[in-house]
Amino acid sequence: MRFVWIAALKELRCLRRDPFSVLTWMGIPLSIALLIHLIFGGGQAVPQGRLLVADEDNTIVSDMLTSAFGRDPLGKMLTVEKVDAPAGRARIDRGDGSAFLLIPKGLQDAFLRNQPFRIQLFSNPSQRILPKMVEETLLIMTDGAFYIQKVAAGELRPFDSGRSPSDDAIAQRSVDIRHLVTGLNKYLSPPLIELETTVVVEKQRNVTRPSFYFPSMIFMGLLLMAGGFASEAWKERTFHTLRRLAATPAPLASFLAGRLAAVALLYFAVAALGVATLRWLAPGEVSHPLAAVVWAALSGTAFFLLMLPVSMSASSQRAAQVLGNLVIFPLALVGGCFFPLEIAPAWMASIGRLTPNGWAVTQFKAILSGSLRPAHLAVAMGGLVAVGILAFLLALRSLRRGLLA
Amino acid sequence: MIEVERLRKSFVDLTAVDGVSFTARPGEIFGLLGPNGAGKTTTIGCISGLLTPTAGRVRVMGHDVVRDGRAARQALGVVPQEIALYEDLSALENLSYWGGAQGMRNPLLRDRIAKVLEITGLQDRAREPVKRFSGGMKRRLNLACGIVHQPRVLLLDEPTVGVDPQSRMRLLELIRAEARAGVCVLYTTHYMEEAETLCDRLAIVDHGKVIAAGDLAQLRSMLAERDLLRLSGVFHPAAARAALERIGAIEVLQADEGLLILSLAGASGKLPSIFAALAACGADVRGTTLTQPSLESLFIKLTGKELRE
Repeated sequence: MRFVWIAALKELRCLRRDPFSVLTWMGIPLSIALLIHLIFGGGQAVPQGRLLVADEDNTIVSDMLTSAFGRDPLGKMLTVEKVDAPAGRARIDRGDGSAFLLIPKGLQDAFLRNQPFRIQLFSNPSQRILPKMVEETLLIMTDGAFYIQKVAAGELRPFDSGRSPSDDAIAQRSVDIRHLVTGLNKYLSPPLIELETTVVVEKQRNVTRPSFYFPSMIFMGLLLMAGGFASEAWKERTFHTLRRLAATPAPLASFLAGRLAAVALLYFAVAALGVATLRWLAPGEVSHPLAAVVWAALSGTAFFLLMLPVSMSASSQRAAQVLGNLVIFPLALVGGCFFPLEIAPAWMASIGRLTPNGWAVTQFKAILSGSLRPAHLAVAMGGLVAVGILAFLLALRSLRRGLLA
Repeated sequence: MIEVERLRKSFVDLTAVDGVSFTARPGEIFGLLGPNGAGKTTTIGCISGLLTPTAGRVRVMGHDVVRDGRAARQALGVVPQEIALYEDLSALENLSYWGGAQGMRNPLLRDRIAKVLEITGLQDRAREPVKRFSGGMKRRLNLACGIVHQPRVLLLDEPTVGVDPQSRMRLLELIRAEARAGVCVLYTTHYMEEAETLCDRLAIVDHGKVIAAGDLAQLRSMLAERDLLRLSGVFHPAAARAALERIGAIEVLQADEGLLILSLAGASGKLPSIFAALAACGADVRGTTLTQPSLESLFIKLTGKELRE
């Protein structure tokens, strides 16, 4: 047992003398996380555009039409700029603006007389989202106008006199429209049929949220460290220290346990740093930080133990590094460590969750979100420890075989 | 004490050690002499418990290395052929680690580290990373790590390979000091001179077998004070062999188209007649080397080849 600590101390001393290897393993995922954060800014991306409007009618109806674009949520995405028709056409031809809406004179007149009328929308072909939104909004409004015409044409017609209506006339028409709506109510809302509508607000997946991508980055770092530590074990063969150790009374299991203790300690520090960073980036989105740290550290240690036999089966340290990368990078890619499983195709996500890292990162996210119940967490931890013990025995066997190579 | 009885170690397609037997006693430096690939390192591997013998028995201080391996290894100090050190750690940290692996504790470990650093002349560089050491210093530290726990049996596997003459002398002196202190030393080498000057007794091994054993006097007597004459040039082997045998009292150890190796008493006095006989059969002698009886000449006599081949 004493040699476990001697071996652990030796490992930590060696790591202290060569800290750049650990920094490199952690640096790759941190750089990726930083880039994602910088590129997407960590917030909601809102498209911005400009709607050019030439209102030649300049009436209440045309005003109502154009003011719709100034209200939320369109108002946050579109800036409405009034222009004259030739200028608007010239600017949209140059690609200056998302769309150009031309309302010719006679819109209100035609609307009140229930006559056909044409308004024109010119969209910018280099943009896709905003012109389409303008078009859809206009379609909805013209549909709405059609139905208003169908049910209230009689009440609206007196306004079509070319003069501003009096207050009395407006009040009278309001009462008429109210009676009309009340009369239609029994058809619109039949008393025997009750419709209950529940609006389901879909939980938005925001790939730019740190709590979404950062756990994957943490686990990518843990995987890279596992590969690095495993190929470092090859140094013991390269420098013949493993063979020398085999000629001492110290058990090889104690040596491996010591190495494991040092690796686990380092994993604990890295996991704590990762979870603390996540708490800083996404306050309030880390439910059980201590459990998350323990889980990440245990997972990393198990990854190391699983990678050790892979590394020791190689014929040289260089081959061990190549072989390690051949295992780690596909695992990271499929198991949700390069990008979250939530945005992977369904078939890939289902395969990914079966990989050791995919399973571990899924549990890690559940711990962070607080959705993993203590009983399930205990079972998962037990599973991880069992895998760790099995991997320890495999790693020990591979070390013994490595002695003879 | 090391007792090796009919040791055999086979790998899949090779028998590296085939029936080796010897005994090395406390206070004695016992040499295993042989060319590369003779089975020396495999023998050391079996004694240190690194390899499991296929057959035979090995005991260290009375402990069977297979059945009672831990007790056997507690008595052992191993200095491998390769420099088996942690280059990122200092000499002090290496000694502390290897002493710990042997079960040593402070303050005894601390005292022993100070002692071995002093005797190996490394005390001034004790806190420096080993990667900054010269080859000779690394060799000395390699030895220090093997003796830090005061083993009763010391296995040294070609510990002077690639070492400068000054460091070699120092290492050999350290090994003699260990033997004087009562340690049983098993020393493998393919350097004749080293074996001759250092070892009390020797076993010459080739192809996994002991081909001669004894102290230096016993081994030399096997040569019957005969010199070794090596002639290089262009020869007709059969004709040269016949011509030399006609002179008498000459044993032809090797005869091929470029080299003749002869064993004979008083070789310097017979050189004129040898040259004349060879010239008569059309040989062209271009080089001559005369060697007094030595381990090397014994090895050539026994195996028909040079040790460094």
